[in-house]
Amino acid sequence: MEIRIDNRRKIAFPRISHYGYAIKYIVEQGLGAEYVLLPPATKKTAELGSKYSPDYACAPFKHSLGSLIEALEAGAEVLVETGGLCRLDYYGALQKEIIRELGYKCEFINLAEYMSGKKKEWLKLARHLSPKLKPARFTTGAYEGVKMAEYMDEIEAVYYQNAAFETEKGSYRKAYRKFLLKMQTAEDWQEIRAGYQEVKQAFDGIGMRKPERPVRIGVVGEYFTIMDEHSNQFLQEKLVRLGASVHRFLNVTNCHFRAKEPTLRPRIKAYADYNMGPTTTWTVNAALDYAKQGFDGIIHVKSFGCTPEMDAIPLLQNISRDYRIPVLYLSYDTQESDTGLDTRLEAFYDMLERKKKVMR
Amino acid sequence: MKKKAYLGIDIGSISTKGVIISEENEFLAECYLWTEGNPMQATKNVLCRLKEQFDDAGYRIVASGTTGSARKLVGSMIGAQVVKNEITAHAVGTTTLHPDVRTILEIGGQDSKIICVENGVAVDYAMNTLCAAGTGAFLSSQAHRLGVAVEEFGEIALRAKKAAPIAARCTVFAESDLVHKLQVGCPKEEIIAGLCKAVAGNYLNNVAKGKKIAAPVVFQGGVSKNAGVVRMFEEELGMPVLVDERGHLMGAFGIAVLAGEQQEDAGFSFDVADMEFRTREIICGKCANHCEIICVYRESRLIDSWGNRCDNGAVS
Repeated sequence: MEIRIDNRRKIAFPRISHYGYAIKYIVEQGLGAEYVLLPPATKKTAELGSKYSPDYACAPFKHSLGSLIEALEAGAEVLVETGGLCRLDYYGALQKEIIRELGYKCEFINLAEYMSGKKKEWLKLARHLSPKLKPARFTTGAYEGVKMAEYMDEIEAVYYQNAAFETEKGSYRKAYRKFLLKMQTAEDWQEIRAGYQEVKQAFDGIGMRKPERPVRIGVVGEYFTIMDEHSNQFLQEKLVRLGASVHRFLNVTNCHFRAKEPTLRPRIKAYADYNMGPTTTWTVNAALDYAKQGFDGIIHVKSFGCTPEMDAIPLLQNISRDYRIPVLYLSYDTQESDTGLDTRLEAFYDMLERKKKVMR
Repeated sequence: MKKKAYLGIDIGSISTKGVIISEENEFLAECYLWTEGNPMQATKNVLCRLKEQFDDAGYRIVASGTTGSARKLVGSMIGAQVVKNEITAHAVGTTTLHPDVRTILEIGGQDSKIICVENGVAVDYAMNTLCAAGTGAFLSSQAHRLGVAVEEFGEIALRAKKAAPIAARCTVFAESDLVHKLQVGCPKEEIIAGLCKAVAGNYLNNVAKGKKIAAPVVFQGGVSKNAGVVRMFEEELGMPVLVDERGHLMGAFGIAVLAGEQQEDAGFSFDVADMEFRTREIICGKCANHCEIICVYRESRLIDSWGNRCDNGAVS
């Protein structure tokens, strides 16, 4: 017999990059429920997801379904899936069906149904998940969780931009991992703040041998695959190991809290007049920004068959031509082997590096 | 004193190429063999052939490099100083021999790529993704179906009055078009010309999509030996397409040049051709990721291993 020592409901959300820690914080500190935090995804997650997915669904569907099934196996009672601006909006409904047909007993909350709803509906949902909810506590918790996500995005960006140039190998990684662990276990605002300040200090103390003009690569593309390093086969880490300074504009902070789509659109007017889909404006805007800043190359990342990002490709080709900046296009499904990716990245980096040496 | 020489080996999916070059980038020895699914044996054979041609008294190999899809394995086998991808090797090789080149087209056994060059340095490249349509392997399998040797393809294609229309988009569609044409009695040479056109068309529509193709154009890789494909490229592009007679050795040449560039005198011995090498694949069980780790043994002693994503899987 199972012995329950606390009667909070166990809530799970599909894995996406490091954001699980912030969601955990909001669920546990704000909502007052329990969050099922999964260990990092493995090959098995993708296998599990692919096995029960329609073949034509995009890779993010498979990865998130794999995560949800693993969460159920880990004891989750309530699954939460988000909605979005592309096919993602239908994914919750489909995943709910698939999970029900697999015979799992759980409650499935599809946020797509709430996206256009009123605030009252959201509050009702929060009350439903946690009957003893304190609205003030929830607001604070949500705010602090969002702040944590912002800190993680900021630190991650610093990491990928600089880690290639450390004098002592692995020092950036060590500090970064320690920070993520702090965020994972943080239970109040002081802990979040302390972790953030600590990693900033640690980063500042790392010896650097940064060349005057390092190879700079900008990564642009589809929301999930670009952020979730397991889905993109550790693309940014691989580039860092080759020796590049890697920049990525698209993250939760920039996408949801800072740069709104209508404010970005005028900036890409020369290439597009209207919004083409969930992250296309961000993709084109970031690529244009990198081109104008004189970056050495751009890598475009998408899951195979992602229509909105496919629409962005002709625009990127125009930017590539106008600013004479090479663009490498990568399409991800649930690949087994890293070899093909390694070859392409190495060739891309070598090309940029040699070019830099010759064309001064 | 003996003059310096550099060894380069390019181990592709279909063929294995080896060259030895002097400091002035002259070819001292060269060899081209089928890989036959056994890169280690192919490398040994290539080394034996190179040894026969090599002037031992006048030159000394001071550095070596490997490229191609088995570069890592063969690199640790011969102890190469430079192990680099084939795109870099091809770009370096071609720009060394043809400093004025602007576009490099390359179609190999399993892959195809385009490299754009400005001022003698690669500035952009693309490589086929997902599908091997329009590569050498496709032509070989269709040659087999038609009962002709793939080496004769070019010659037969040039004899055709016109090219049969064959879908270039995808290998599977191309194949069903081809069967259909055969069954309605279309002459073989027209079909072969159609296949050559399909390969060129597929390449330009997929790999070279969105890339500016400027003259001079150099075409290389195994398929460049096919005169039919060369002519189709010239027709489609409306500009001459240069095929170097050593185009098939360009990757090996490029990696030898790179080995020379890195100024390290490491030496090389042909003895490796007589040693016994073995690889073993182990599945790491330390986490659910189950990394496949490749271990390379020389004379039963572990010399290299790779494939682990984290330090837990390190083999020593």
